[in-house]
Amino acid sequence: MTTPTKPVGAARRLVRRAPQERTADQGRAARGGHAARHGRLTPWLFLAVALISEGVFTVFPFLNTIVLAFTDATRLKGGAFIGLDNFSRMIHDDRFWTALQNSALYMVIVVPCMVFLPLLLAMLVHTRLPGAGLFRTAYYIPVVSSTVAVGIMWSWMLDSQGLVNQTLKALGVITEPVPFLTERWLLMGSAMFVTIWTGLGWYMVIYLAALTNVSRDLYDAAAMDGAGWWRRFVSVTIPGVRNTMVLVGALSSVAAFRVFTEIYVLSGNTAGPGGSAMTVIMLIQRVGTGLDAEVGYASALSLVVFVITIGLMIAVLRMQTRENEK
Amino acid sequence: MRYVRRLALATSVTASLVLTGCGVGGGGGDDGGKAQDAAKGKITGSISFQTWNLKAGFKGYFEDVVDTFEKKHPGTKVKWIDQPAEGYADKLSADAAGDTLPDVINLDRSTAAPLAKAKLLLDLDEADPGAGKDYLAGAWKSNDWKDAGGHYAYPWYLNTGPTLYNTGLFKKAGMNTKKLPTTYDELFDQAMEMAKKSKKQYAMIGQLPGTDVMAKYGIKVMNDAQTKYVFNSPEGVAFVKKYVELYKAGAIIPEALSQDYVNEGKNFQSGRLAYLPGSSYTVKELKKNAPSVYKNLAIQPQITNNAPGMYIQSVGVSAHTKNSATALAFARFVTDAENQLAFAKEADVFPSGSDGAKAEYFHADDGSDAAKVRVLSADQLDKAVEYTWPGTSEAQKTDLREQIALAVSGKKSVKKALDDAVAFANKQAQDGK
Repeated sequence: MTTPTKPVGAARRLVRRAPQERTADQGRAARGGHAARHGRLTPWLFLAVALISEGVFTVFPFLNTIVLAFTDATRLKGGAFIGLDNFSRMIHDDRFWTALQNSALYMVIVVPCMVFLPLLLAMLVHTRLPGAGLFRTAYYIPVVSSTVAVGIMWSWMLDSQGLVNQTLKALGVITEPVPFLTERWLLMGSAMFVTIWTGLGWYMVIYLAALTNVSRDLYDAAAMDGAGWWRRFVSVTIPGVRNTMVLVGALSSVAAFRVFTEIYVLSGNTAGPGGSAMTVIMLIQRVGTGLDAEVGYASALSLVVFVITIGLMIAVLRMQTRENEK
Repeated sequence: MRYVRRLALATSVTASLVLTGCGVGGGGGDDGGKAQDAAKGKITGSISFQTWNLKAGFKGYFEDVVDTFEKKHPGTKVKWIDQPAEGYADKLSADAAGDTLPDVINLDRSTAAPLAKAKLLLDLDEADPGAGKDYLAGAWKSNDWKDAGGHYAYPWYLNTGPTLYNTGLFKKAGMNTKKLPTTYDELFDQAMEMAKKSKKQYAMIGQLPGTDVMAKYGIKVMNDAQTKYVFNSPEGVAFVKKYVELYKAGAIIPEALSQDYVNEGKNFQSGRLAYLPGSSYTVKELKKNAPSVYKNLAIQPQITNNAPGMYIQSVGVSAHTKNSATALAFARFVTDAENQLAFAKEADVFPSGSDGAKAEYFHADDGSDAAKVRVLSADQLDKAVEYTWPGTSEAQKTDLREQIALAVSGKKSVKKALDDAVAFANKQAQDGK
């Protein structure tokens, strides 16, 4: 009887079984190689559904987008190869620069808030005080609410005759309504507020998980050394959740750069007066949908967003690697 | 092994690139003389018929139409599909891209034009010559796309609406409700008066003007040959400057800068606006949703310095239908005089058949608001025109609204804003988008 020296796949798993079974199984694997082949195929069979759906709904459209970016395709007719014309048009398109500026600004303001505010919130509810559970739930409610529903609610509140303006008027703070939804910067600010309000609970939960990994002993030791609340926060909490902060920074920067729903809903799909609060994703949606969609140009815009997003992720990952090496 | 993997990867990428081709859609192209033969086949087999947000109100009517057609032509089967108003153009574009357009499609001018240009609709001049005589001349003409070289849809129902006023706001502002505006100049003057008297509490206007309003005011939108947009004329600039003044005075609600016509209706319903260009449908909605506004409603003829505006719904037939004879027969059936009249009565709209709104029903005023709107609208129907132009697209409408918003909010001069809007519109028209 031949005994295989290097059992593979299913055979390798079989060798961990009882000795009396082992000999028979090894024999079968060696005889036909059927189990070995079966072992190689099994993971692919499990992965097949996911791989096919990824291929059809992600990889294929992605490759299609790359091709279309170099054509003048519209929704109703196939396009011709036009080289870099779409990218050159982009450079001269004021709407693109406005959208890029708005998306970048969104990221610059929203990301620091998303990194620090949920951490503070997590620390507040990471106590054993009575009622902390209630606050955890309350902060998480916006996360499970539909962004569209949240956006509509805030658009009613921030309307020129909405609750916020009426309250400010009743209190005598203002005489004329504040144009929260009809002035570029105020509209952007309102959308950022909604993004932060909705996202706080989500990132708070991530931080809560990270905080449970920070040893209580470190806080006790720091306290014994006379460290106050701030010192403990800077010297114990932040180093303890640094990797999570990088993760939150990466996730929120990509999400902020790709902001769409908040501006779309608050501006009633108009991107504010004169389209001045347009973001890059809104521009892609506007150019690339409808019967007169310019699919080639929309694909070129999508490709640029993809490159920027990948760039952001690489920058964050490098930052994390550098921190870990220190 | 590594070589095989690389080869497989390279093959799959190349295949993707080749398969994706250079486009998403593809349904377009020359129909190679198919249109002439379209009506010649036997009326049999299954077709699909898509309407635009009509199921909620008129389910029974359409089920009857389908039943009658199927009985009249044994062996036929009509699958009726209704799509919501929201995203209708997007649904059509997805269907067109996937070559799955319904056989018979409810369209308006802006959704029909791109499909016609892409030759995704049957050219009725070839498929059904002489059909035009069965429809109102104006309605048939409005479905004539010179740049696409033919007629691509049967006119269906027409709508033209009155002007609605919330007299409650006039009274609150201390204004005379017996002298409601009848011209644009009166509208602008009274809007200023209302803003001043109510200290900007109430506003008259809720939407920035599009090319249809410009045309109704008397501004030339396109040149006579209909090849170039020309609304950046001194008259156009003077017209938009009026809106700048009105906005500064508080006669236009702030939301008008960044919201479209849907919100104008909502703001009128909520009692924030005193003026709304409406329709019989709007009156019904107000009665149901805003009784306090409805009780102060005044119904007046449409404000215009020119011909009144109207909107046409049409029915087109997909160029790729497998049962073209059945699809054409059904499209003709839905839009024939008898069915049009029945639907017009059901939906408070007007037929586009050659008799138009001559039937007694459209001119009998029984004293109800619905009848008042109907009679007013029927009277202005003979003179009404559809204010859309070759190359008019959603993108162009959006761009104009944005440019005027920039001008009104002082971010751009009126002249520059209109020059930019005209340049964009001309480019769109030239590109055939």
